[in-house]
Amino acid sequence: MASIMRPSLLRQSQTASQRVYSTFARQPSPLTQHLRPAFAPVPSTRIAAFHATQRQAILPALPQKITGTLNEPTVVPDPTPAHGSYHWSFERLVSAGLIPLTVAPFAAGSLNPVMDATLCALLVVHSHIGFEACIIDYFPKRRVPNLYKASMWALRLGTITLGVALYSFETNDIGVTELIAKLWNA
Amino acid sequence: MSSMRVFQLGLRRAAAPAFRGNFAGRMVQRRLANSQSTSASSAEEILVKQRVNRPVSPHLAIYRPQITWYGSMFNRLTGIILSGGLYLFGFAYLAAPTLGWHLESQSLIAAVAGWSTWAKASAKFGLSMPFFYHSLNGVRHLVWDTGKALSNKAVMQSGWAVVGASVAASLYFSFLA
Repeated sequence: MASIMRPSLLRQSQTASQRVYSTFARQPSPLTQHLRPAFAPVPSTRIAAFHATQRQAILPALPQKITGTLNEPTVVPDPTPAHGSYHWSFERLVSAGLIPLTVAPFAAGSLNPVMDATLCALLVVHSHIGFEACIIDYFPKRRVPNLYKASMWALRLGTITLGVALYSFETNDIGVTELIAKLWNA
Repeated sequence: MSSMRVFQLGLRRAAAPAFRGNFAGRMVQRRLANSQSTSASSAEEILVKQRVNRPVSPHLAIYRPQITWYGSMFNRLTGIILSGGLYLFGFAYLAAPTLGWHLESQSLIAAVAGWSTWAKASAKFGLSMPFFYHSLNGVRHLVWDTGKALSNKAVMQSGWAVVGASVAASLYFSFLA
């Protein structure tokens, strides 16, 4: 007799245990309980997530890859001054140099072509460094190596094109500072 | 056991072939989870695969908006807007002769001169706001690089000061200058 009772007992205990983890306590109707095969998973039962807050993601997670053993998730790059302090000082020098070059033409009211060309060159370098930092941050090399490489080369190509364009504008036209001043008072 | 009972049992078994042998066979439960043994190396492989499925850290929106990280975010955003505009203008300027566009300074100035006062002012504000914010915040960054004004209070004060100064400068240069 006990062996005949077992399947229905098991079925009841299974649904009961699932109901414990369910976020909503909805009792399935007796009819569906009878029609459902004995041990099929209950489709209406939702297993409660570990986190109580709603999941919000702007973008799906990038693919993850593990190199080496389990406890070495990242590879620490070799320290080199070209990627560290020199690079850092160069960036600060360019940023600090942009301040007088931006202020001087408007403050003094005089427009010097050499100064304008220097401003353009520094703007190109500053923009390139800025976009490079964005690529490094948002397309990490160890996660999306191909996208990283492609966007880096696209940026290099874009920066060279911008350099050519600004050279052309500086030599054939009136220059960036003059153009902005004239557009402002147009 | 009488011969009659043996006969009846035989009949019953012949009539229901599925129940032949172990009578409790129909009561055996179906197991949904099956297990298999793993070696040490394959166990590590499974663990590596599991770690690849790790959840990502939560969305930025769960953090309280504060001038520290909002200011930093807008610094990068305004930088991308300004440099992106410069890059786009450069590309367009190079492509202009081929595409028949007129991006020489005379035509640009003439085009802008035809705009209404409000269009001009709002275009100026739209350009000067990112410019002043990024420039003034850049000065703030250069001050930090010397190791000064790095306390929490100073960072918050300078953050709001940069916001105020860039709004004031943009308004002045858009509507008055």
